[in-house]
Amino acid sequence: MTYLLIILYAITLVYFALSERVKKFIWILSIQGAILFGVVLFSLNKIELFDFLFILLETILVKSIVIPWFLNKVRKHNNLKREHEPYVPVFFSLIMVVLILLISFVLSNYLNNSQMRAQYFTVAIASVLFGIYFIITHKNIFSHVVGYLIIENGIFLLTLAVGSVNPLMVNLAVLLDVFMGVLVLGIFINHIGDTFSSVKSEHLSKLKDN
Amino acid sequence: MISFLCILITALFFAGIISKVKAKIGARKMPSILQPLYDVIRLFKKGAIYSPTISIIFKMAPPIYFASIILASFFIPLFDEKGVLSFDGDFVFFAYLLALGKFMMIIAAMDTGSGFEGMGANREALYSMLVEPAFFIIMGSLALFTNNTSFQELYYNLHLGTDLSLIIGIASIYILVYIAMVENSRMPVDDPKTHLELTMVHEVMILDNSGFDLALMNIAAWLKFAIYGTLISNFMIQSFWPLYFKIIAFLIIQASFASLVGLLESFRARNKMDKNPQWIIMLSSIAVIIFLTTLIITNKIILN
Amino acid sequence: MDIIFFKIAIILTFVLFFLPKQFQYYWGLFLHISIISISSIWAVQSLFSDVQSLSFPFILFFGEPLHIEIDKLSAFFLLVINFTVLTGALYAKGYLIPYFNKKNKIELALHYFSFLWLHISMLLVVMFRDALAFLIIWELMSISSFLLVIFESEKKETIKIGIKYLVQMHIGAVFIMIAFILAFVRSGGEFSFDGLAVYFESHNPFLLFLIFFIGFGIKAGFIPLHSWLPHAHPAAPSHVSGVMSGVMIKMGIYGILRVLTYIHHDLFDIGLFILIISLISGVLGVSLAIVQHDVKKLLAYHSIENIGIIGIGIGLGVIGVAKNIPVLAVLGFAGGILHVLNHSLFKSLLFYTAGSVYRQTHTRNIEQLGGLIKKMPKTALFFLLGALAISGLPPFNGFISEFFIYAGMFKSLHSAGLYTDIILLFSFSGLVLIGGLAIFCFTKVFSIIFLGTPRSNKVAQATEVEPGMIFPNFLIGFMIILIGFAPMLLVKPLASIVSIFTIDTTPIQQIIPTLNGISISSGIFIVLIGIVWILRAWQQKKQIIKQGNTWGCGYTGANPALHQYTATSYADNFGQLSSHLVNIKKEYKEFKENEVFPKEKSFETHSSDIFEDYLILTPANHFYSRLKKMGVLQTGKIQHYLLYSLLFLIVIYLLTILNWI
Repeated sequence: MTYLLIILYAITLVYFALSERVKKFIWILSIQGAILFGVVLFSLNKIELFDFLFILLETILVKSIVIPWFLNKVRKHNNLKREHEPYVPVFFSLIMVVLILLISFVLSNYLNNSQMRAQYFTVAIASVLFGIYFIITHKNIFSHVVGYLIIENGIFLLTLAVGSVNPLMVNLAVLLDVFMGVLVLGIFINHIGDTFSSVKSEHLSKLKDN
Repeated sequence: MISFLCILITALFFAGIISKVKAKIGARKMPSILQPLYDVIRLFKKGAIYSPTISIIFKMAPPIYFASIILASFFIPLFDEKGVLSFDGDFVFFAYLLALGKFMMIIAAMDTGSGFEGMGANREALYSMLVEPAFFIIMGSLALFTNNTSFQELYYNLHLGTDLSLIIGIASIYILVYIAMVENSRMPVDDPKTHLELTMVHEVMILDNSGFDLALMNIAAWLKFAIYGTLISNFMIQSFWPLYFKIIAFLIIQASFASLVGLLESFRARNKMDKNPQWIIMLSSIAVIIFLTTLIITNKIILN
Repeated sequence: MDIIFFKIAIILTFVLFFLPKQFQYYWGLFLHISIISISSIWAVQSLFSDVQSLSFPFILFFGEPLHIEIDKLSAFFLLVINFTVLTGALYAKGYLIPYFNKKNKIELALHYFSFLWLHISMLLVVMFRDALAFLIIWELMSISSFLLVIFESEKKETIKIGIKYLVQMHIGAVFIMIAFILAFVRSGGEFSFDGLAVYFESHNPFLLFLIFFIGFGIKAGFIPLHSWLPHAHPAAPSHVSGVMSGVMIKMGIYGILRVLTYIHHDLFDIGLFILIISLISGVLGVSLAIVQHDVKKLLAYHSIENIGIIGIGIGLGVIGVAKNIPVLAVLGFAGGILHVLNHSLFKSLLFYTAGSVYRQTHTRNIEQLGGLIKKMPKTALFFLLGALAISGLPPFNGFISEFFIYAGMFKSLHSAGLYTDIILLFSFSGLVLIGGLAIFCFTKVFSIIFLGTPRSNKVAQATEVEPGMIFPNFLIGFMIILIGFAPMLLVKPLASIVSIFTIDTTPIQQIIPTLNGISISSGIFIVLIGIVWILRAWQQKKQIIKQGNTWGCGYTGANPALHQYTATSYADNFGQLSSHLVNIKKEYKEFKENEVFPKEKSFETHSSDIFEDYLILTPANHFYSRLKKMGVLQTGKIQHYLLYSLLFLIVIYLLTILNWI
């Protein structure tokens, strides 16, 4: 069952490369949250009940509902519709996402040892790499937040893969990180949008010293 | 032989079911399910109009196209019943045979010397070129999984028991449905209902055909749908069911495939024309993921 | 005995210079046919017997007898060369008629002489094993093809292109020479191909193979060594282009294969390298072909693509040998070697028909053609046959060789390891993409040249060419259809050739039922077409067939040629996707906002070869501008030059005094 969810997660990464509308980004993010909920439900059964419930709530509530709701508010406030002209054409991103998936699957085959649950490691690494690629190729600050969240999902999967004794601490720290990051960035975006009347990151480079 | 007969029977009803479903959703009066058949019979009774610009190519193309579709359908098995012809690597022959049909259609469209047909031919050439890798990667995954290379043996040995192989089945069906939509020039790549010349892809290529040729084109379109429907239903039918049960299941699956096409056509808008290539490349990307999953199943990628 | 005839024939080529114009062609043709018959007898003897290779002394060379060795690989190439040169010679008669009065006796004699020597040198290239003789004959091949390329020397461009070609060929020859010398010096074997075996046994083969690959690859036209191809083939007359593209570039492939026969270990890296370069050549070659407007340049880029396909077959074969997968090894090599034959057939056919079009319309720019099928129906149908074959469509021969490669790939998926499977994934996706792009390109070329309405008045005076120029097309067409419909005839010869590379050739027996299936299916296909055609004729006999203009959506005023699709528009779709690869630049002025009555505007698109730009033109220009600064030393006054000599003498004198030299 976990394999099914892993493959579905990989397919969501492909859809991220394909889509250009901001609303679709948010929608796919909440689907990713739901997939992570499923992953946790089916795999983590060796830890205490309280930690288990906490992580379940974290995925389904925070990743699938709270953060997308917040992002939606930001989107409406700034009236964002499409991602205009990423730096590279879309089909190039599609080829890159396929290459990233291939590399991460081969890499986890190579690194296969008993300390690590390699099933999750595959898409974890793919997610982190793809999130970084996403930020590099998109111009919009909002897309940067979305990329940051993809990386966070990848790190979440990494904690499942390199399963430590006490995942609770790790997840609390990550949760705080995400919360603060998204909150600050969201407020940031709103203010930038009001000041500059656009959210293109090139305009931010006007803030340089010279 | 039985698979060819089944394909023929489904082809007769396929277009009818699609238009019935679309009419029902659009709250219009439903045409009879045999309406497309009546249309084709009417076309068979008509003469033809040829433009003075055309040459022998325009007259040569429809029979070659039609014969290639018929020959292609000879290869399709019905679960474990062989097609009329079968040999190792026949899916390569199948794909290239369909490509030959498309080649003739494209040059026949350019033969009329019309800018509209040139537009349609150009787009058709690009989209069918981009969708070929997806089909081959899926077939490659199945060949890797079952260690066979002919259609019939591929499906015969396809045991979708474990949950991982179920993923391959579901994902392959998903991609094959979309490949069928692209190859038959349906949504979201092309809208068969639009008759604005600047937005048509396949419909505009057959704009100057009439009479017998147009009838051949219509029948070929149904046959292509039936072929892809058989490819999809072969995933779902298990080989240990009795024969009559298989045929009934086959007909039900084809009917639901037709309804699915109707649903997709009613609810999905066509992509913007220049977004089409990247959407088609997305199909190949997901096909690569299917290939990766097959690598995991066959234990080439070892994950604990 | 036959060697003596062969040598006499070679010497008799010099007689060409003493004959009057009318007889030169026939004398040349007679010599071609005699050389072809003698060498083909040798080739057939070698190919169909069990002997490993035929070997006999040919000539005394620096005191020692020089041997000709014809093993199965050489025999195969001999037959391929002979067939294409024969059709080229037959075609040349008609093609050269317009030049008969423009050129004088010596120029024509030189042309026929070079054509004969190109033929002889290509034959000897595959027959010599001694390295020095090989290099001399390789040089002869380059020079004779150079003389053929600059046939239309009244155009300045042609001479420039010829010189560029000669320089690149010599660079390739230098690499081959370096490789031979390296092997000779490092291992002490004899200075020949067989001496390579000694070297490869004791050293890592990759470096030496790389040097050989660069040398032979320049001749073959792998990317990025291909820049001479798209210039030399359009500049040469069509029969020469057909022979060059059909067989001369295969001499590079022959060289690579010959070197490969001596390597028996560490093959995986070599195979992977060949595979990657071939995939890039295939995809880039056909992408660049799509955006061309000159029909012969387009065909030249397609040659690069097909060399890529041959390389994919060979690369997969080598990987199969390295990883011990017999199916992949045998079918990969078989597909690659068969594609050598197939490509020579359909590429020469395409060049001959394109040459007929050029001769009748005096333009190679396809944007000015259209509707030629009504004026030149036979030429058009042969072009269509070549286009269908080169796109790899059944039931013609291109499909058979690509099918071999596909079968090898798919059958070995299960038994291969993880990395090999991923390599196979990229290979078959690449091959299918190349096939799709080829279909895209050839639908464009065929439709724009032959179909629709004429786009300029160059078409008006075109008529069908005389039967002498169509007869070679019939010969080639017959071979294409024969290989397409009856591929099992080739299994036994191919198996014997492939056995040079791999030991286990049983997989080729497994493919015989498949080939039978393909033949039967092709036969059924023709029967089905016939049935539908007859049905249609029967139905239309009873109906009224009318004529009506093509649907123009009400545009009745304009010339129908104007709203047809042009070649640029057809390729634009693809050009947008690949704009970085093929370097498309569009230059136009937009309409201004307040421009109510638009004035005349212009629109230009250019595409260029990025490899040529970045690898050759930019460094060359850089180098040239730096060196230009040294030009101040060349003042033109003799006093300054004497001053330089005096300074030099003084400097040498001082240095000797100081004991530095």
